Amino acid sequence: MTTETPPPVGGSWRNLYTAVLLALAAEVALFYWFVRAFR
Amino acid sequence: MSAIDWIVLGATLAAIVLYGLWKGRRQQRLEQYLLADRQLQWYTIALSVMATQASAITFLSTPGQAYTDGMRFVQFYLGLPIAMVILSITAVPIFHNLRVFTAYEYLETRFGVGTRTLTAMLFLIQRGLGTAMTLYAPALIVSLVLGWNIQLTTLAIGVLVILYTATGGTKAVSWTQMHQLFISLAGMAIALFVAMKSLPNGVGFTDAVRVAGRMGRINVIDFSFDLSTPYNFWSGLFGGLMVALAYFGTDQSQVQRYLTGETIAQSRLGLLFNGLVKVPMQFFILFVGAMVFVFYQFVAPPLSFNPVQSEKVRNSRYAAEYQSLEETHAKTFTQKRAAATELVAAMNAKDANTVERKTTELRRLQTRDEETRQAASALIRKNDARADAADTDYIFLTFVINNLPKGLVGVLLAAIFCAAMSATASGLNSLASTTVVDIWKRHLNPHLSDHEYVVLSKWMTVGWGALCIAFGLYANQLGSLIVAVNKVGSFVYGTMLAIFLIAFYVKRVGGTATVIGAIVSEIAVILCAIFTDMAWLWWNVVGCVVGVAAAMVVQATLQPAERRRETPALR
Repeated sequence: MTTETPPPVGGSWRNLYTAVLLALAAEVALFYWFVRAFR
Repeated sequence: MSAIDWIVLGATLAAIVLYGLWKGRRQQRLEQYLLADRQLQWYTIALSVMATQASAITFLSTPGQAYTDGMRFVQFYLGLPIAMVILSITAVPIFHNLRVFTAYEYLETRFGVGTRTLTAMLFLIQRGLGTAMTLYAPALIVSLVLGWNIQLTTLAIGVLVILYTATGGTKAVSWTQMHQLFISLAGMAIALFVAMKSLPNGVGFTDAVRVAGRMGRINVIDFSFDLSTPYNFWSGLFGGLMVALAYFGTDQSQVQRYLTGETIAQSRLGLLFNGLVKVPMQFFILFVGAMVFVFYQFVAPPLSFNPVQSEKVRNSRYAAEYQSLEETHAKTFTQKRAAATELVAAMNAKDANTVERKTTELRRLQTRDEETRQAASALIRKNDARADAADTDYIFLTFVINNLPKGLVGVLLAAIFCAAMSATASGLNSLASTTVVDIWKRHLNPHLSDHEYVVLSKWMTVGWGALCIAFGLYANQLGSLIVAVNKVGSFVYGTMLAIFLIAFYVKRVGGTATVIGAIVSEIAVILCAIFTDMAWLWWNVVGCVVGVAAAMVVQATLQPAERRRETPALR
């Protein structure tokens, strides 16, 4: 149904999706550290 | 407000409106007017998507939430990046390949015209109310704090938005939103800088963050599972995911933003960029609120941040009681400031015992002060039963007006007005497109020329704008405004999401079963809202799960012949 053109950065869409989800995981980890460091 | 502030505010708004008019000139065809000819690049889409969600309420109310409740509201957005990935994989290619104008148009190819019309109507009601709130809420706050006329303020914002949205359509909306978002974020950065610069000597940035943390304002993550808690990791991840899927996947005000992409790749990149940037952006806005809280540990805040209600109660028969509360508040503040100063000194001296002692003392004083503020709210409500006693929404603007230098107040007001205009513009733009494409063109008159539909769309934008202004002028107080707007959405988002999830993934379920499932889902959400203390974010999960399950059960009970008749057109 779709023509899968690769993204201009990141190599593949799968890589970009993974990057977004990893960024979220990193943010959660950072938030956890932030709470513990400044509570 | 000084003359320089008026000049800054006026010049910014005029520049935005003129830019919108210029960008949106010569719109002749419907695809050009409603979808910017499907020519936009990812960065315009990304910023337009973000500006649509970040209304003035976000910039006014969110810092106030951090002030009173800490930064835990950021968890509401944890499901958003996941939703952006899911939608990039599913919705974006489907919508693009079918070259639809609205999300609901797709549903006709899948279920038939009934489901399309039902969802379009649900959207029009919900987004109509949401857009009216988007217009009204900042007008209310700004007019109360600055003493402006609320009707005139609502009218001014509304007319300016209608002007460039009706004239220039989606292209004007998307391009102005880029600049509006930058102005709004710059305004928040200025506010943060001023809050930090205004702290007493010896209290630095790290000290301020430490004080905020000690006072429970850096509560950005909470892993405890509790259905009645509005914001924790789990409600943010699951409830927030449902809200984001529904909002970005089924709400035309957002779908229309990424339908403008030149290619699937451009639209996907726009959404993924939003997924990357949204959580840090909300963190930043909440952080500004937490720092304003710290600022008010060292500079005396008013007892109530709502100036009109404070003045009213001061001139009422409760004046003596209120004055007594103000005296208690002032006395507590003096003790708080001393405790906060000593806490910072102890932290810098690495004196752990004193840090703990002063933290306990500061927390105790804060609790006492909150009790005094609650007593003041009760008094305000006693004096005027219809009064909006919650002052969360007024905290940030009060800080801006009282503490920013001349000129910068104008910048901040421009930032707030820009946010109000950008979110309202998307709302009006999508309301017009849904009315014209899903209702008028589909049911009332399918034979107009392309140019006539453009003219009709322009009039629909004006009509919806007028309706939103009229509704805004009569809106009642609804407590914390950002929660109110999200709650309106949460009544229908779960149901809408259920319909779209069935359309995308459960191919064997037909139109009748989907409509019945949607009705059952909506009843379930209403029952949850009335009879349980479930936090509103979970309503979206309930609505979606019940809707999908009910539709599948109904479909299973349908006769095989009916199932065959309802075999979807699009596979």
